Amino acid sequence: MLKVDRLGKKYGGRWIFRELSFELNTGDRLVILGRNGAGKSTLLRTIAGLTARTEGSVELPEGDSRLTISLCALEQSLYGQLTVAEHLQLTADLRGCPARIDELLLKVNLEYARSKPTSQLSTGMKARLKLAMAIQSNPKALFLDEPGAGLDEEGHILIDQITEEQAERGCLIVATNDPLERRLANLELQLV
Amino acid sequence: MRSQSGLVTGVLFSVVTVYAISFATLSEKLHGTVVAGLLWVALLFSSSASLPRIFLAEEEQGTAELLRMVGRPHAVFWGKSLFNCLQSVVTGILLCVLYLGFTSKSVTVPWLLAVCLIAGCLSLAGAVTLCGAIASQASNRAVLSAAIAVPLLLPLVSLGVSGVRVALGDGAASEGNGAAIGLIGYACATLATGPWIFAAVWKS
Repeated sequence: MLKVDRLGKKYGGRWIFRELSFELNTGDRLVILGRNGAGKSTLLRTIAGLTARTEGSVELPEGDSRLTISLCALEQSLYGQLTVAEHLQLTADLRGCPARIDELLLKVNLEYARSKPTSQLSTGMKARLKLAMAIQSNPKALFLDEPGAGLDEEGHILIDQITEEQAERGCLIVATNDPLERRLANLELQLV
Repeated sequence: MRSQSGLVTGVLFSVVTVYAISFATLSEKLHGTVVAGLLWVALLFSSSASLPRIFLAEEEQGTAELLRMVGRPHAVFWGKSLFNCLQSVVTGILLCVLYLGFTSKSVTVPWLLAVCLIAGCLSLAGAVTLCGAIASQASNRAVLSAAIAVPLLLPLVSLGVSGVRVALGDGAASEGNGAAIGLIGYACATLATGPWIFAAVWKS
């Protein structure tokens, strides 16, 4: 489903990671661990095709990448003037998939904020919206970067639920430096 | 798009430019060529001040990654370009009406002025949007954007000045027609090749 072969990324003459190879199939949940600056987020972005790789290759699930892969990252920004519901409509229109606004807002417990501009949301509410946007197209490969950051206890339960559902649909990669998030995975990769 | 900051910047710039030129040439009788040149300088700077922001803003506020993840490059380019085209034409018409009103310059060939203005504004929007898109991911965006824009905009400004000056009564009709055709061709070429060039740099 997802194959990474001898992947390497170099920034300013320094290798962030090199010779990374692994293969994920349906049901696989990989957690990438490492200290701050180890290159976890860069690895996720490189696999997702958002950052150019220096060497190696990545085989993503077949099909339109806007629908088959999805990334939810802590540092991803939202449009401050658009409301929660408008964000889901925008991403659905750009992807070409059903918006499922009511269903997704119910799932991430944000129905009460559907008409609020995202500039008025808390960090945790933004994280929930980003999760909703990430699972909107039912991707075969889901990448979560620091998924628990900013979320309350209920939010962590939501992450558990999403990772369980993703395992039935395809594969999951989680980049984190929170050891508790090891619970989300059945495979581990330590970056040094 | 909702902040409309680009439109406000363009309109304010136009008003200030028209006021400054009118004030400076209060007692002068201006030739069509000079009026055309000053009009295009104002159009060019008004566009340069607002239009490239549409892509730079995505990079600066961190929403570019979301767009890269969920959008097709062609759809993103067309969405941004159409907004810029609309903004450019609205600003251009406003600027032209104010400018000709303040300078009391009569229009000899109105259709030529309209064609040159609309095609010129569309060309400007296409070229400047593309420059902004290409430069948006670079660390020294301003320098790169300007370096790309100069060779793209010089022929456009030459055609624009030629067309508008004929419309204002200076020069031969054939020159004006040639300029109008050139501007329409420029607009078509920029908007047709833009998505392909943008797609090549969008995810790199």
